[in-house]
Amino acid sequence: MRAKLSVLFAGVSLLIAVAPAIAHHAFAAEYDANKPVTLKGKVTKFEWTNPHARFYVDVVDENGKVTNWNCELASPNVLKRNGWSSKLLNVGDVITVEGSAAKDGAKMANAKTVTLANGQKVFAGSTGGDNAPVNP
Amino acid sequence: MAKYLRILLVVAVLGWLALSSQSSVEAARYRAGAARAAAQQRRREAPKGPMPRLADGKPDLSGVWNGGGPIEDITVGLPKGETIPILPEAQKIMAARQSKDDPEANCLPTGIPRIAPYPWRIIQTPTHIFFLFEGNIHSYRQIFMSVSKHPDDLDPTWYGHSIGHWEGDTLVVDTIGFNDKFWFDFVGHPHTEKLHTIERYTRKDLGTLVNEVTIDDPGAYSKPFTVTFTARLLPGEELMEYICQENEQDTKHIQGPARKP
Repeated sequence: MRAKLSVLFAGVSLLIAVAPAIAHHAFAAEYDANKPVTLKGKVTKFEWTNPHARFYVDVVDENGKVTNWNCELASPNVLKRNGWSSKLLNVGDVITVEGSAAKDGAKMANAKTVTLANGQKVFAGSTGGDNAPVNP
Repeated sequence: MAKYLRILLVVAVLGWLALSSQSSVEAARYRAGAARAAAQQRRREAPKGPMPRLADGKPDLSGVWNGGGPIEDITVGLPKGETIPILPEAQKIMAARQSKDDPEANCLPTGIPRIAPYPWRIIQTPTHIFFLFEGNIHSYRQIFMSVSKHPDDLDPTWYGHSIGHWEGDTLVVDTIGFNDKFWFDFVGHPHTEKLHTIERYTRKDLGTLVNEVTIDDPGAYSKPFTVTFTARLLPGEELMEYICQENEQDTKHIQGPARKP
C-alpha cells in the first residue's frame, strides 16, 4: 500500500513538472533576468498567436495611474504541450504575473509564471532566467 | 484488500483535488494537459528498440524528431579540440551581427544545417524525402531521391537543392544552391552562396537519429569541417501549427550583438 501511495504522489508531482522551453529569438537580448517584475491586474486582451502568445494587463499604481503591460508567453504550440489552452485566460480576469521586464524600458514583460483568477499558478513558457535553454 | 486500496486511492486523489481548491473547467483542463505533457516527457526520455526498416529493407527514418542540427552555436557539434576554420572576413561579418537581425527571430527559415527548437517530421516516399518543420517557419525541405545531379542553373534559395542517396544504412543528402541570408546559429556564424552541405543521417536505433554534416564553404571557411548533432524521436507527438509571422513583436525590442538565447 505504501508503494502504491508513493506511486500516486510521484504521479501528482509530475503534474507540475514542465519541459524547459526555448524560443526562436534570444531572450537575454530582449528581456533582463535581473529586472524581475510582479504585475497584478485585469486582463484587457489575450492573443493566442505566434511566435508568442501575449496578454495585456492593466496595472494600477498607488496613485491610481493605469499602465497597460504587454506580457509575452511561449508559443501556443509549447503552451498547448504544457497544458494551456486559448481559454485559460479571459478578458477581465484578475491575475498576477511574475516575469522579466524588457531591457529597452517598454512596458513589456516575459512571463515566467501566471497566477490565474482562481489562484492556480501555471507555467508561462519563459525562455530566460532560471529556466535555462537546452540543446535537444 | 485490493478493493480497500482502490477506495483509499480514490479518497487520496479527491483529497488532493480538494486541497488544490481549483474547480474550474479550465483548471481541470490545464491539469489534464500538464499530465499529458509529463507523460509525453517520460516517453521521450527512453524510446528504445532497433532501427525500423521499410519493406524494401531501407532504413525507415520517418517519425517526429526534435533537434539534429545547431541551434545556439554550431561549434558545439565539432569534434573535441577542433576549432571552426572561419576566415577573417566572415569573422568580421559575424562580429557585426545584431541579435535583432537573426532571420529566425524575424520569422524566416533556418536554412541548413540550423534547426529550430520545435518538432519536425520526416516523410519518406520512393522518390522524395520530406522534412516538415513545425516551427520557424512552418515550412518543409524536399530531398530528391531519384535525381543524381543538381541542375546547373540554380538560383539561390533558403534550403537550396537537395539530392539524396543511401550509403548502406546512411542517408546522404547533398545540397547546393543556397542564398547567404540565413545564419547557422544564434551567435551568427555566416556563410556565402558557395555553401555546399553534405548531411549524413543514420538512425542508430528507434529513438536516435545522428546527423553528421560537412560544411564546405570556401567563401567563409578556410577548409571543410564536420559537425555532428543528434535528433531524438518524440513518440506519439504530432506537429502543430506555428505561423510565426502572425504577431511578431520582439525584434524591435531586441538589443545587442548576436548571442545565445
